[in-house]
Amino acid sequence: MKILVPVKRVVDYNVRIQVKSDNSGVNLDGVKMSVNPFDEIAVEEALRIKERGEAEEVIAVTIGDSAAQEQLRTVLAMGCDRAILVEAPSDLEPLAVAKTLKALVEKEDAQLVIAGKQAIDDDSGQVAQMLAALLSCAQATFASKIELAGDSAKVTREVDAGLETIEVDLPAVVSADLRLNEPRYVKLPDIMKAKRKPIDTLSLAELGVDGTNQLTVSNWSAPSAREPGIKVEDVAGLVGKLKEKGLL
Amino acid sequence: MTTDKNNQLEILCGKCPQLEMLRASSDLQFYGQDASKHLTPNPTAILLPNRTEEVQQIVQWANEHDIKLVPSGGRTGLSGGAVAAQAEVVISLEKMNHIIGFNTTDRTVTCQAGVVTAKLQEYACAQQLYYPVDFASSGSSQIGGNIATNAGGIRVLRYGLTRDWVSGLTVITGSGERLDLNQGLIKNATGYDLRHLMIGSEGTLGIITEAKMQLTEPPVPQGVTLCALDNFADCLTILRTFRHRLRLSAFEFFSDKALNHVLQHNDLEAPFQQRSPYYLLAEYDYGSPGTQEALEQVFEECFNQGWISDGIVAQSETQSQKLWQLRERVSESISNKTPYKNDISVCPSQAPIFLKELEQLVNQAYPDYEIIWFGHIGDGNVHLNILKPETLSHSEFLHQCHQVSQLVGATLHKHQGSVSAEHGVGLLKKEQLRYSRSEHEISLMKQLKLIFDPKQILNPGKIFDI
Repeated sequence: MKILVPVKRVVDYNVRIQVKSDNSGVNLDGVKMSVNPFDEIAVEEALRIKERGEAEEVIAVTIGDSAAQEQLRTVLAMGCDRAILVEAPSDLEPLAVAKTLKALVEKEDAQLVIAGKQAIDDDSGQVAQMLAALLSCAQATFASKIELAGDSAKVTREVDAGLETIEVDLPAVVSADLRLNEPRYVKLPDIMKAKRKPIDTLSLAELGVDGTNQLTVSNWSAPSAREPGIKVEDVAGLVGKLKEKGLL
Repeated sequence: MTTDKNNQLEILCGKCPQLEMLRASSDLQFYGQDASKHLTPNPTAILLPNRTEEVQQIVQWANEHDIKLVPSGGRTGLSGGAVAAQAEVVISLEKMNHIIGFNTTDRTVTCQAGVVTAKLQEYACAQQLYYPVDFASSGSSQIGGNIATNAGGIRVLRYGLTRDWVSGLTVITGSGERLDLNQGLIKNATGYDLRHLMIGSEGTLGIITEAKMQLTEPPVPQGVTLCALDNFADCLTILRTFRHRLRLSAFEFFSDKALNHVLQHNDLEAPFQQRSPYYLLAEYDYGSPGTQEALEQVFEECFNQGWISDGIVAQSETQSQKLWQLRERVSESISNKTPYKNDISVCPSQAPIFLKELEQLVNQAYPDYEIIWFGHIGDGNVHLNILKPETLSHSEFLHQCHQVSQLVGATLHKHQGSVSAEHGVGLLKKEQLRYSRSEHEISLMKQLKLIFDPKQILNPGKIFDI
């Protein structure tokens, strides 16, 4: 069985995001870029499945410009067998991403797709669901546990009310939530070995996908700064303030 | 006498109506002690001034009534420099925690002495600038204390010590005079620079009340690697190899025993499946073309030479922070074992031979003790921690440690090292001062002390006895 894992190059989770002064986007100059954290979790899960002997191959795919090869090298060093770079603008919309992945799933005959539940840059959180719909296959989103058994997978999902366990038939698309696992550290010798692993490059046209965006972003702005709190003298002051704000 | 002191304190509070005073025994315990925890605190009262003028009034009052004062910051020091064990009055600067000015052209921030280091770092960040002095205790240590001990920390290799970032100081001397030193000038060749005399003086010459701190541009993204090694003495050869190809900002080490304690006390994963006796953490400029290749070359070279047995590279800031925690949490993870701490340094070039001798000496001297090694090996600074065996009484433990410290001191003397690299001399390293400073040097220091503090009001008994 092959597992396909999409990974996205995003601004590192710990970087303080700065909007460009002309509001045309986010400043990416000299900013640390990393694998989207949820995708890293997805990769880790795929590798664990492979290490348990339940899959033969883990293929990582990224859609973006050539700089995204850096992130493919990272996941290859983690243990993915090979990688695919689909050259496209890095702001490709979720539907086009899902269509691209559909073409790859069919090309590779992958039985399982494990994707991060969302990318932390645009927070769209749509690709896994769209992909499952396009493939007409099962989906199990927000997974915190994945157990494979033959042609099906038991997936524990993180839902508002707690945990929900569902069983889905393969092929399936699973989206990874934060608590699924803790991604491994990458060892230096593995980084060197990963250099010999292949990265195939494809174009959107080769996969028959139209990459034209449907939306135009008109403006970017930073969230307004949180107003500082106030100190009240005593309980009466607190009650007074709460009443004043209509909270009591 | 006690009634006298009570009266005198009342007089002071009458003069300074906004001055807060604490006398509850829990407060006396809390403010009278630093992080060394080997001495019993016994202050008479804690004063919490709000302004430089109040500090001056307090020092003048202390001179009038011959009352000894202990200046106090975040009390994260490990040499007893902020301990009040002789019925002194503690001046805590913690309420003077405001940032009072920022000059965008000069890139300087004027802080009151009680500003916590992390607050200055965050403030700098908000101005898209950077305050580079950083250490594990940056969330509680204060700027005034950092300056009074010339604190170093984890990025000394790249950015130097606190001293290098102080561009102006306001100080109340032991005799109660106010000095405004240097005022932010970059160039100022007008006689003795008393600012630098105050830096590292451990509150024995004056009380720092305000400081103008220099900021710089933020660093480019940083990469972090953790390497496993078998021989401690290879650290410096590895450093040389790293530096040849990478621009380092930190180069830290810790032992496997240190890692054990960190893993026991924190929710962190072991970095390697197979354990090694020592680990090195290097942080370097990352992102410019060729960095990845350079790192691989360095690793290959060290690996082929047998210096490094394994290595990992953080793939995200999150992983970088986790690797850093393995190093930064050592101190807090062993604190329940009341460790005896040696904070020593030699020139990096001397480190391999010094460390070899020291390791032998320590293993012979403490055959039954657990020894925890870690530190800023890139700048020659090693923290050697001896853990108290549970069966041994605290006083017997201290007694034995003091004896071994003399041997450590003699070895340091031989290699022209320092008995206190970044925590000051305080009360705990006084006996060893002679290993790092000549008799004549110490005599000049004592004369300086008497010029600034003729009545010996400030931090009595710290660094040396007069």
